[in-house]
Amino acid sequence: MFTTGSKLFLGGTVLSLAATLVYGATEGGGPLGTIGLISVTLVFAFLTGINFWVRDSNVSSMDTAGIESSPAAHLAPGRSMWPMVAGAGAALLPVGLIVGFAITWLAVIVLMIAMVEWMVQAWSEGASSDPVYNLGIRRRILHPMELPVLGAVGLGLIIFSFSRIMLHVPAAAGAIIFGGIATGVVLFGSLIATKRTVARSLVVALCTVGAVGVVGAGVASAVAGGRHVAKHEIPSYAEGTCGADTSGEADDKSSRAIAAKSNLAATIILQNGKLRAEVIGVAGNPDAVTLPRSTDSFIRFKNLDNGKFRLVVNLGKEVVDPKAATLTYREVKECTQAVEEGGDQFIIIKPAAPSPRDPSAPDQYSFTVPGVDSAVLGIVVP
Amino acid sequence: MTVPSNGGSRFVSRARRLALPGAAIAALTFLSSCAKDAPQDTFQPKGDNARNIDKLQRTPFYIAGAVFVVVFAVVMFCVFKFRDRGQKIPKQTHGKPALEIALTIVPALILVGIGIPTVKTLFMLAKTSDTQCVINVTGQQWWWEYDYPVQEGCGGITEPIVTSGEIVFPAKMNVLLKITSRDVIHSFWIPALNGKRDAVPGRVQTLRMEADHPGIYAGQCTEFCGLSHAYMRMDAVALDAAGFETWKTNQLAAYESPADGTAAKTGESTFLTQCSRCHQVNGLVNANGDPVISRPDQYVYSGAAPNLTNLMTRYDFAGASFDLITDDCRDKLWSAQPADFSALYLQGVTPECFDPVNLREWLRNAPGKKPMYADPAKLGPTDGKTRGMPNLNLTEDQIDQIISYLTERK
Repeated sequence: MFTTGSKLFLGGTVLSLAATLVYGATEGGGPLGTIGLISVTLVFAFLTGINFWVRDSNVSSMDTAGIESSPAAHLAPGRSMWPMVAGAGAALLPVGLIVGFAITWLAVIVLMIAMVEWMVQAWSEGASSDPVYNLGIRRRILHPMELPVLGAVGLGLIIFSFSRIMLHVPAAAGAIIFGGIATGVVLFGSLIATKRTVARSLVVALCTVGAVGVVGAGVASAVAGGRHVAKHEIPSYAEGTCGADTSGEADDKSSRAIAAKSNLAATIILQNGKLRAEVIGVAGNPDAVTLPRSTDSFIRFKNLDNGKFRLVVNLGKEVVDPKAATLTYREVKECTQAVEEGGDQFIIIKPAAPSPRDPSAPDQYSFTVPGVDSAVLGIVVP
Repeated sequence: MTVPSNGGSRFVSRARRLALPGAAIAALTFLSSCAKDAPQDTFQPKGDNARNIDKLQRTPFYIAGAVFVVVFAVVMFCVFKFRDRGQKIPKQTHGKPALEIALTIVPALILVGIGIPTVKTLFMLAKTSDTQCVINVTGQQWWWEYDYPVQEGCGGITEPIVTSGEIVFPAKMNVLLKITSRDVIHSFWIPALNGKRDAVPGRVQTLRMEADHPGIYAGQCTEFCGLSHAYMRMDAVALDAAGFETWKTNQLAAYESPADGTAAKTGESTFLTQCSRCHQVNGLVNANGDPVISRPDQYVYSGAAPNLTNLMTRYDFAGASFDLITDDCRDKLWSAQPADFSALYLQGVTPECFDPVNLREWLRNAPGKKPMYADPAKLGPTDGKTRGMPNLNLTEDQIDQIISYLTERK
């Protein structure tokens, strides 16, 4: 009864009507948007009527003989969802123009996909009188595009959903879930491989259930949001948080990255109220640690004493503004977070200027520990 | 003129034409392996680490050579013996398990045979526990800085030493280099003493170095690092134990200001105003008597410029690319016997050997002599900081003064 063209515009009519109602309900009947959407609905409805009346211009609606003898009458077109999709795209387009750019792009993409699919389908259905052959040539043309795109979209959806799940569940549970799903996939695959007689429909059903489950859980996780991650403020000398007060700090889990551990300029150890250094290639504990100038040095602070302590790096003073008429100086200090007994922390320092060569000069470079006066170790920057 | 009558004749004719050039190229390649003046030849190790690498590479090289010869001979035999002469196609067979198993097992055994010494050598080259001297090596566009941290190693260093261009160390001592970079990735390589090690910003990587005898060994940055990558060279200088002690003492000697009224004294003032923002000269003081601390981090992208305290104890500058001495003196130094080398090297740049041409050209227009990103109009991405030394637009008088001053930096 409905021609292909009228289906397109009917779909557009229904969706634009729905959009009008949704927009009217959510936006309180804003005049501009509502009038625009009503206009779109009316235009779609009008075009639906025209196409229905003229039978997509194939034959005159009054020429019943022509209808009976036309090719369209002999080769009834198959069912097609593309007019509906194209209508949805067309309806989304004005919505996007009103609401946001992302929806506009979505509408354009939907429209383009629908147009291509629709055109190829319409062409293939008229290619011959053999519906099987027609379906075959449609697949030959579109499957090389459809299958990779659908595969990528499906895979992306699964991955994205899975990532939302992993971000939502506690960190410890994440490893268990990951391992559980991986084990399930391996067992399922092994079962299929060993039981060749298993029904295809069963495999498809199980895969579908699994995919829907993951996507559903992903959507639910995304709505619920990610798990809470405690943030530890980085102490700053300028903000007065490099002192002996270590209350409220408990980040003993420093970076476990191999990159950080394998790249140390020195390990500074607090033990029995004293600081000592371990440097790769240097035997024993040097009296001072030499660090290169103008390049990053990774320092690891390890606390072996009872209590929470932090390491402070004192790098003398620097000029606040070199262009100022009167030069003023500020202390250059950096520090780690407080570390419990047995814990460690990393700090990266980049001295810009050499340390004083005269040992009696003020502003010597050093490592210190607030609250432990005896814990001092020199730094030499050439 | 003879016109080839068929394809076979054409092939023979073409082969004859190519035979002579082919033989010439092969002979040239073969003869080039006999070159003696090849300071960066990996097949001439001058230390234990390089020797271990050399030993490791020779065995697979011989095996690979034998495999190549056998395979090539079999292929050529088959090509000529069974070439198409219109004969019947032989009976075709599929699969020969015994042969296939043998062809799997034999390469696997070869790989295991190569793998065991390879892993052993890798661990040997990564060892740090037998270090006797630590030197920090920092790469930047386009030169290397070497600093000797305070340590008991290297015969004891109580005050850090900073130098560039030439890395000086005691011969027959296990030296550990700690290599990093201030800007982009470089690669440190002295072929006669060890393999390569990348210098990566934010990472410190170790490399062992040991030289059998006193001498000078050439090296080259082997990771493309920008415009003047080819000018980023380095020399490794091994001295005997006494010579190294002398070198250390000399590097840490107190600063001596030029005598009043000399050109060098004027040059000191010029250096203070033109050069000391980036180049450190230890002990140099300003008019108020305060130590002059260079701040290259404010002007140069890498945050560093060569320390010139003892420039004339080195024989080259600007990434070991340009000599400070005449060609004759250079040849004499590079060809010195191990027993004589340390004493000769420790003489530094003598007035007889000093050749100011390169230094003068450098001071006149550094980016003109060695391409660098020093054009102020193109420094947007580096926040106005240069990559390398800019043209300071010095007058000829200023250049003379600075050269006079620098020639006293020994």
